[in-house]
Amino acid sequence: MIDSSRLDERVVITGIGPVTPIGIGVDAFWSSLRDGRSGVARIGAYDPSDQKVQIAAEVADFDPEAFIAPKPAKRMARFSQMAVAAARLAVDDAGLDLETTDCSRAASVVNSGGGAVTTIAHETEVLGRRGPDRVSPFFIPVMAMNMASCQVSIELGLEGPAITSAAACASSIYAFQDAATMMRIDEADWALAGGTESNISVLGLAGLANMHALSRNNDDPTGASRPFDKDRDGFVFGEGALVCVLESLEAATARGARIYAEVLGAGRTTDAFHITQPRPDGSGAARAMNVALANAGLQPEDVDYVCAHGTGTPLNDLAETLALKSVFGEHAYQLAVSSPKSMTGHLMGAAGGISVAASALAIHHGLLPPTINLVTPDPECDLDYVPNEARPASVKVALANGFGFGGQNAVVALGAVDR
Amino acid sequence: MPSVQERAFAIIAEQLRVPAEDVKPEAHLLDDLKADSLDLVDLTIAIEEEFSDDDRELEISEDAAAGLQTVQNVIDYLAKHGIE
Repeated sequence: MIDSSRLDERVVITGIGPVTPIGIGVDAFWSSLRDGRSGVARIGAYDPSDQKVQIAAEVADFDPEAFIAPKPAKRMARFSQMAVAAARLAVDDAGLDLETTDCSRAASVVNSGGGAVTTIAHETEVLGRRGPDRVSPFFIPVMAMNMASCQVSIELGLEGPAITSAAACASSIYAFQDAATMMRIDEADWALAGGTESNISVLGLAGLANMHALSRNNDDPTGASRPFDKDRDGFVFGEGALVCVLESLEAATARGARIYAEVLGAGRTTDAFHITQPRPDGSGAARAMNVALANAGLQPEDVDYVCAHGTGTPLNDLAETLALKSVFGEHAYQLAVSSPKSMTGHLMGAAGGISVAASALAIHHGLLPPTINLVTPDPECDLDYVPNEARPASVKVALANGFGFGGQNAVVALGAVDR
Repeated sequence: MPSVQERAFAIIAEQLRVPAEDVKPEAHLLDDLKADSLDLVDLTIAIEEEFSDDDRELEISEDAAAGLQTVQNVIDYLAKHGIE
């Protein structure tokens, strides 16, 4: 039997851990969002000169050993290293001391889109060149996607449930609903939720470039990610992780924690349509937003801000705009919409975490992060996308959207605790 | 040119992520240098790669690898296979 007394538990975000192309740690992350700073640059991980796409949003200053001892760090692919770093930053930001905090019922839900594609590519090369006996014994436990959450559990000592699930670019939105559910069905007392992705490699970029998903604006890296702009030509691939601390409102209040925002509800649907394209009318995304509103007990008019999926692909931004109009009607023109991907690039499995964090910070600070590079308006994308400059606003309720290849749509509704 | 022993010591320190000064002939890979079973396979492969070249392919069998318990065992193994 589930202890039904927790089914209505109010779940809040008390810590934010960003490892992103626009900053490591919540202060650096928020100041970049606020100032509209792009994290896109020419690729440094390898020489991209012969490639169609030569730009990406890398976390160039990420030093795994600043967060993880050398030996465990060696046993992790970069996506797991980033997950652990983000988890530690989130816990620190929440003011939790793991030495004195009960972790026996703490969950780790760190999702990912692709796991360690680069590790698979490397070991396949070893296999071809040197034979099966030279394949690393660490290959499987480094590559396996579940290691994002399991390494967080190992490093931080979290003994509740751990899961990494994949929902492409909606992955980390899924994480917030799954982690909150673990708490409400009394499997966990508190949780880390978010996502991670790190596959900036010739292989990763080639796959996405050949899908015609990526911007080819190699000459203007910081201007390449231009969601909702008429001249948008695809997204910019990014890497990084974003993990948040989720606690019950009761526990957070009892320990006097700073609360960024409450997780009011979530909605998830599937397009059941195409492997990469969204439904052109955005109806799958719209249904996810409607489910999230219903799940959170909200009316459309309650929503002040939507942190859009806003990838900067011609198809997504139009379908998402249509979805917003279908859900909100006239109110679609009253609320604010913006896309952090204009600055961070598209972190795939970590993208939803960025959107949740940006929404929570917008609520907390009363400031809407902008959509940068919105220079030439698209007549078909005619909402208020907070172009180019952050804007003060009272944000009581926000939605964070994430829509993935495969047609997975996920939306988290967040709100101010005292709204 | 570093000696075989110097090269082997460096690989052990690198693969096991231990300080160079801890890698002494009498050091036990599991007990002293805190290797686990995965580290030992990883170390074996690294030694094979380090001491293989165009003329000689070093292949350490699983049985032989099981006998590599100390740093000295590694040096002795290499010497026995003409690498010294």
